[in-house]
Amino acid sequence: MTTAAAPTQLGIDVAGARRPASLWRDTFSNVFRQRNARVGLTILAVLVLAAVFADVLSPYDPDKTLLGTEKRLTPPCIHVLGCAADKPEHPFGLDANGRDEFSRVLHGARISLQVGFITVGFAIVLGMLLGLVAGYAGGWTETLIMRVMDVLLVFPALLLAIAIVAALGPGLINAQLAIGIVAIPVYARVMRASVLSVRENDFVTASRALGETAFGLIFRRILPNALTPIIVAGTLGIAGAVLDIAALSFLGLGAQPPLAEWGSMIGQDRNYVFTAPHLIWFPGFALALTVFGFNLLGDGLRDALDPRLNR
Amino acid sequence: MSRSPGWLPPLALFAVAAIVFTACAGATSPSPSASTPAASASAPASASQSAFAARVYPSTAVDCANPPAGYTGTISQIKALDALTVEFDLCAADVAFLSKVAFTSNNIQDSDWLAAHAKDKSYVHDATNGTGPYRVKEWVSGDHVTLEANPNYWGTAPKVPTVVVKWSKEAAQRLQELKAGTVDGIDNVGTDDFATVQGDSTLKLFPREALNILYLGLNVNQAPWNNEKVRQAIAMGIDRKRIADNFYPAGSEAAKYFTPCAIPLACGGDAWYDFDAAQAKALLKDAGFDFNKTYDFHYRTKVRSYLPSPTQVATDIQSQLKDNLGVKINLVVEKDDTFLTDESKGKFPMFLLGWGADYPDVTDFLDVHFGTGANDGFGKKFDDVDKLLTAAASEADNTKRGTDYAQANTLIRQHVPMVPLVHGGSATAWRADAEGAHSSPIGNEALWTVKPGDRTQLVWMQNSEPSGLYCGDESDGDALRICQQIFDSLYQYKVGGLDTEPALATSCDPSADFKTWTCKLRSGVKFGVQGELDANDVVDSYAVQWDAKHPLHVGNGGTFDYFPALFGGLLNPPPATP
Amino acid sequence: MTRYIIRRLLITIPVLFGVILLVFVIGRLLPGDPCRILLGERASDAICADFNHRFGFDRPVIEQFTTYLGNLSHGDLGSSFRTSRPVATLLIERLPMTLELSIYALLFATTVGILLGIVSAYKRNSAVDVLTMAGANLGVSIPVFVLGLLLASLFALVLKGTPFALPPSGRLTPGLSIVPLAVRWGMENDHGPLRAIVDFVSNMYSINGLLSAQWNVFLDAIRHLILPAVALGTIPLAIIARITRSSLVDVLGLDYIRTARAKGLGDRSVVRKHALPNAMLPLVTIIGLQIGGLLSGAVLTETIFVLPGVGLATYDAITSHDFAVIQGFTLVIAVGFLFINLIVDLSYAYLDPRVRPA
Repeated sequence: MTTAAAPTQLGIDVAGARRPASLWRDTFSNVFRQRNARVGLTILAVLVLAAVFADVLSPYDPDKTLLGTEKRLTPPCIHVLGCAADKPEHPFGLDANGRDEFSRVLHGARISLQVGFITVGFAIVLGMLLGLVAGYAGGWTETLIMRVMDVLLVFPALLLAIAIVAALGPGLINAQLAIGIVAIPVYARVMRASVLSVRENDFVTASRALGETAFGLIFRRILPNALTPIIVAGTLGIAGAVLDIAALSFLGLGAQPPLAEWGSMIGQDRNYVFTAPHLIWFPGFALALTVFGFNLLGDGLRDALDPRLNR
Repeated sequence: MSRSPGWLPPLALFAVAAIVFTACAGATSPSPSASTPAASASAPASASQSAFAARVYPSTAVDCANPPAGYTGTISQIKALDALTVEFDLCAADVAFLSKVAFTSNNIQDSDWLAAHAKDKSYVHDATNGTGPYRVKEWVSGDHVTLEANPNYWGTAPKVPTVVVKWSKEAAQRLQELKAGTVDGIDNVGTDDFATVQGDSTLKLFPREALNILYLGLNVNQAPWNNEKVRQAIAMGIDRKRIADNFYPAGSEAAKYFTPCAIPLACGGDAWYDFDAAQAKALLKDAGFDFNKTYDFHYRTKVRSYLPSPTQVATDIQSQLKDNLGVKINLVVEKDDTFLTDESKGKFPMFLLGWGADYPDVTDFLDVHFGTGANDGFGKKFDDVDKLLTAAASEADNTKRGTDYAQANTLIRQHVPMVPLVHGGSATAWRADAEGAHSSPIGNEALWTVKPGDRTQLVWMQNSEPSGLYCGDESDGDALRICQQIFDSLYQYKVGGLDTEPALATSCDPSADFKTWTCKLRSGVKFGVQGELDANDVVDSYAVQWDAKHPLHVGNGGTFDYFPALFGGLLNPPPATP
Repeated sequence: MTRYIIRRLLITIPVLFGVILLVFVIGRLLPGDPCRILLGERASDAICADFNHRFGFDRPVIEQFTTYLGNLSHGDLGSSFRTSRPVATLLIERLPMTLELSIYALLFATTVGILLGIVSAYKRNSAVDVLTMAGANLGVSIPVFVLGLLLASLFALVLKGTPFALPPSGRLTPGLSIVPLAVRWGMENDHGPLRAIVDFVSNMYSINGLLSAQWNVFLDAIRHLILPAVALGTIPLAIIARITRSSLVDVLGLDYIRTARAKGLGDRSVVRKHALPNAMLPLVTIIGLQIGGLLSGAVLTETIFVLPGVGLATYDAITSHDFAVIQGFTLVIAVGFLFINLIVDLSYAYLDPRVRPA
């Protein structure tokens, strides 16, 4: 599922990313000119707002069970849509523990966004580091690192993640770690390719001849050049990470109760798919929307940053 | 498209690689798919009746007063007296003996078959041979088991010649199949689907008696639960009825005693505290309870009949303790495997666990948790309870046993090493036209007694695939149920009930002190594939399970965990490691 | 080219060893005691000590690894301790189902995906294009497990009784039974590699039905595969549609296409004769990459549709710590995948000479 983030299919031409840093300003306006990016950004903005203000927007505590007064699994009830006024309002109904589903879905946005950013951030940092070392050092170090990356890539992502989580024990943090580890090779490869392409360049040879240190070289020359493809891969990677962590939680290996995480909400309530389908569709829709937003933004970024596709 | 699609070569290669790989690896393994019982097995013909050489196991009876190293069991010797008579010599009176021998794990196998199929373990999956109403026609691993009528069956012929057993973990899925008409009966209707089944005129619901208990365990050695008053407060501060009503199917009930009342002698003495939040809170304040701390509450997410929705129940307990008593707890999900070990070592101050009946007797509930069989889960045993239970266990007189158990119940209520919460009911559901449809309180439905309308085969869907069908060494109800269709024990539980009735034995009679049981076997009983039943088959079927050093003590995982649970222990048990 | 192939093969060897090592390590890293998981409430220390001794879990890890390597070199993958059955046998039973499902999912994804991609590229920036691409974006965004639940409830319950109803679970309608090809072809007493291959093929039910001309079995097997294949194939479909479109759009802007147009060729034949063959190139890689994704998705698809495939079996094995099965299954999957990557790389090099020197 994370294959959506494999660099080769993003149409990123690593060499094509070679562009003076002064173009960054143009890039922003370029991004906003993309329809995909605009829609994606809008969706994500709404989700971020929902996440930030979840506590204010939620009518109930997401973990509060209302069993004393109400029946669990109650279908959605919205007064303006004709639900009897004497019934308490629950736009998404009540879940199997008698908790307000709307409040839980809202809080789920917070978790999924956090989880997506942290996981991919972790993978990017480690991946870039490994790619940098491999590309810069060359020789045996490079061979070793890249072969280990190859080994990781040989396993189907989710299966490897399941195995890692099984070893570490179920839990949201471990799930993030597993998905993060599985995603490392993508960024390591992008980074290494970027280093290699820069290393051969005349301007690098020149600046080296002028006495530029290794650190200067990395931070002033290599990193800026690698950033574009990493950002694109990272944005699409968040989409994949959100999906995969939800999948792990769905299987009971990720987020643990009573945490309101969409995947685990669907997994726990999947037996109610016929009796209380709202428990599947609302978190399912929220999940798809989030992934959709990141995919659109990622696409838009790629189109904006890669002039070849710019039409 | 002018070129062949790009995925063909890689996929084809994957297929070829996979095939070649498995082919090389599998070259020496036996046939993987359908195995029809072949009558041409290499075992020699069964010993003829005329030259019957009665077996005795072990040749010298176990000395119960001075048992050999590690032996904790209750059997002294098993002897064939003649071709159709077996005698069991026990160390102590056992009033539950018939209930135990009726259990599916004590099914009778053919001696020669055991000898021929134990070594390669083929009797676990590919080669089963029992005296029951059906025999295995094919077992498509991961998908279904097909049973066909056993032409040699000694009892009334099955109502339908073919039974297909399927499985799905998800209750919704099972119901879906039943409603779609692709199966005739399903196990474990989902908690919230009882009404759906009852409201559907084409379906019928058969609730099971709740023979299990869900409890909230408290470690009496760990603060703050080391204070009896605090424990009593928890005991009356949880609305058990709310849990039973909301998260359990109909037929479940808030527990009044630890042992379910359907079990004889179980419910004497004082019933559990009524829910009273105010008094509970007062008790806590009285005991100087610290309301500011958050206490850990350990549980696992495995679905059991005593706990059909673990997360929801745990969540509700958390919310109840907070709302009713102001006690804050933190849910800690434990891993499936380590949970039981850690619990048995007394690591958890507060936890959620349960127990399901192996055989319908009080000893299987009280002794295992508060008496001889108890582990350190509750911290320590209470001597007063333990003494009463020990006395009751060797008491042949039921009235006296009953008094002892009643006193024990009252003491348990006072000490509160745990809070009994719910006896979880469950149910089977069948298509309405299935005649003889039923449910069994211990889950061994007799599929051969059901006639599925005018259809020529019965399709049954349960929770899971059996891990094997050598049921002396299976502990999972879904395996035991299929074994029930293929094998017989000396006695059997009446269809849909707990009372025992003769099966392969025509009678098993105790001596006056209940220490010796003599069983007369039915004559002329033939096994489904090969062999004829005699007393040696009975001796061997027990001996291979009983003696851990027996050359045929192989099984599936090889642990034979039911036998020690039923008869106290294995002979020559492997040395315990610290 | 030969040098490239040799180089590529040499790289594969250390990776293969790494895979074997990783598979072993994952198996041993799983915490907890398989005995406790297997036996639950009734396990005692004595019982478990004996159990671990019998399966060699009490020996040093290095020794266990060398034993494992030794067995592997004979093609012995060990036996499941849960069911006492050889892993190789389990593979022959489970892998075909997943392979069959993946083939149909990929068939669905490539045919529909390429078609949509072509239409989109051809009618670039039209409403059809915008809708298709939005749909493709949505397609990669829907979690397999949500889509699976949706399809199952829609086709099995909402459409129940209509001709469109499809079974929500299993491989065959109960009562229909499949005759193993080995039985049909009189190979019951053969236990060699050929028999294993025949059994493997035989366990792909639709192919079995086809080969043995049991048309009802064939149709029934296909009907059971439709929903899972659609659920599993939707993400690859969306990706393939997008890539087809973008590479076609790329190619359509190139000089030689302009030349072809200038020659007076119509749009349709430009696409068919000139643009498509070149646009297919990146597709080879993409489709190869999707196979790994399919196996990941198979875990979820098989969970939802109760299909006894390799994904579900591996997941079960991991949660019950069935070492031999975890190792055997992940190893075969990873090795299969390794070879797919190899083939993709080689075919790519064959199709595009520019890659070779790399």
